[in-house]
Amino acid sequence: MERKVAVVGYAMTRQASDIGVPRPIMLFELVKGLFDQMGITRDDIDTFVLCSNDFQCGRTISNVFEDTPVGAYMKDETKVEADGVMAVMYGAIRIMSGLYDTALVVGNSLGGSEFRPYLIMDYQLHPAYDRQLGILNEPVTAALQAKAYMEKYKITEDHLNKIAARLLRNAAKNPFALRGKEDATPEYIASSEYLYEPLRELHCYPFTDGACAVVLASDKRAKALTDKPVWIKGFGDSIEGYFLGDRDLSWSRSAKVAADRAYRMAGISNPAKEIDVAEISIKFASQEPIICEALGLFPEGSGAEVADRGLAEIGGEMPVCPSGGGLGAYPFSAMGLIRVAECAKQINGEAGDIQVKDVKTAVAHGQDGFCAQHNAVMVLSSEEG
Amino acid sequence: MKAGERIVAHAVVPLDFTYNYRVGQYIERYIKALGEKKIMAVKCQDCGRVFVPPRKICGTCNRILDEWVEVGPEGTIEIFTIGHVKLNKGLVEKIDKPSIIAMVKLDGASSLLPCVINGLDPEKVKKGLRVKAVFKEPPEDSLFDLDHFEPVG
Repeated sequence: MERKVAVVGYAMTRQASDIGVPRPIMLFELVKGLFDQMGITRDDIDTFVLCSNDFQCGRTISNVFEDTPVGAYMKDETKVEADGVMAVMYGAIRIMSGLYDTALVVGNSLGGSEFRPYLIMDYQLHPAYDRQLGILNEPVTAALQAKAYMEKYKITEDHLNKIAARLLRNAAKNPFALRGKEDATPEYIASSEYLYEPLRELHCYPFTDGACAVVLASDKRAKALTDKPVWIKGFGDSIEGYFLGDRDLSWSRSAKVAADRAYRMAGISNPAKEIDVAEISIKFASQEPIICEALGLFPEGSGAEVADRGLAEIGGEMPVCPSGGGLGAYPFSAMGLIRVAECAKQINGEAGDIQVKDVKTAVAHGQDGFCAQHNAVMVLSSEEG
Repeated sequence: MKAGERIVAHAVVPLDFTYNYRVGQYIERYIKALGEKKIMAVKCQDCGRVFVPPRKICGTCNRILDEWVEVGPEGTIEIFTIGHVKLNKGLVEKIDKPSIIAMVKLDGASSLLPCVINGLDPEKVKKGLRVKAVFKEPPEDSLFDLDHFEPVG
């Protein structure tokens, strides 16, 4: 990377089913809190990248009411409509351009209290075809994706239950997560109702309100803003075509392409060895092995073994989502941003009860669309290198 | 809340307007063929893949798809899910009789088509099962002219 960029500050709201305040207040309190904690003001931010979605906010140009609360009044501001990892990429690229030295990236969504996430996803369907027919919806597509992977690699519903139980146990230790259960077992997951087989209610993401803010800085400014900059070593994104029937749903080609780009930029040749912790964005338990394998964290088709041997546990060989990930909370737009913040927490040793030992390098992943049509991957590290 | 205290907590704001999408000549031609009990697809002359529903552009080859071919009406279930709920405007509602939703590979097609399978006990659905298209009679010139799929024989 020609110009190095670091995460120098981060904050997130409690993720909740109803955060109880209007969006601008949520954002003001979050960002002002972060500025105060860092000892900076909005004058220290050169460019603002907001991440929200018009449909989810119920109005066009959703950022209009977000600029002032986050301190962007009369400043340079832009918006990303997709996932938060893409917004962080966008912010990093703006700093790499040399035009800016600092960026504030803020993502938010009120999917718990303000809109219906599955309905919003219906509006991503092809309006003149799939939306007319009404055959597909988000959990149906996720169930089909789950079946494609599970049948190919002989994964059972019990393995899915183990994945979900692990994530809920992790989420119980994460004070920011919405849904957790300290003693969650595979049997507990199996006791929830089926939506579309093999997916049960507890395999699916909870509808979530939440926001996250991250401050980025160039190498020139980073060390003046924090003692512990977390360096963005590489990033990449990739998007598949829309039609599900054109894709092999048993793996994620675009997540693999995105990861390959990020790893090449970061100089990572063996992700399973070189990465200490992963925070990925999954909406359904069944997506975890698909994304992990695309990111090279586990071998292809290893979902059963990973679940049986607890390899993704906080103390496992390759800890995945110590935060509880998407089963603990899934605020659209903010989701990937929270993954980046969780990685920074892990690298800085600030993750409390969900801290993984000796984290130097972490990978964050974000997705958007049906069956993770669009994927973005970012490598973060304590080493400036 | 104290007795008599009034709180105005929510502004409920419906978005109540309609979009008028042009379906385009590809879906138009597809719908017209359904009325004649035919399923039409498009073939890429570069990569050779056959796409249904038909669309105008091959993403891989970045070219216009302009060779029309007939596919089906029989095909094979590649992936399926059994639905215990339905979504009503984004809300999950239980249903009495489970549904079968499948990705079917129509004979002659490369892509899979999302389909509803009727006339089959959900316990008997499996990958590789042969199914055939059932068309609406008389046709109503809509996508619903391909009504559902059912097991062959």
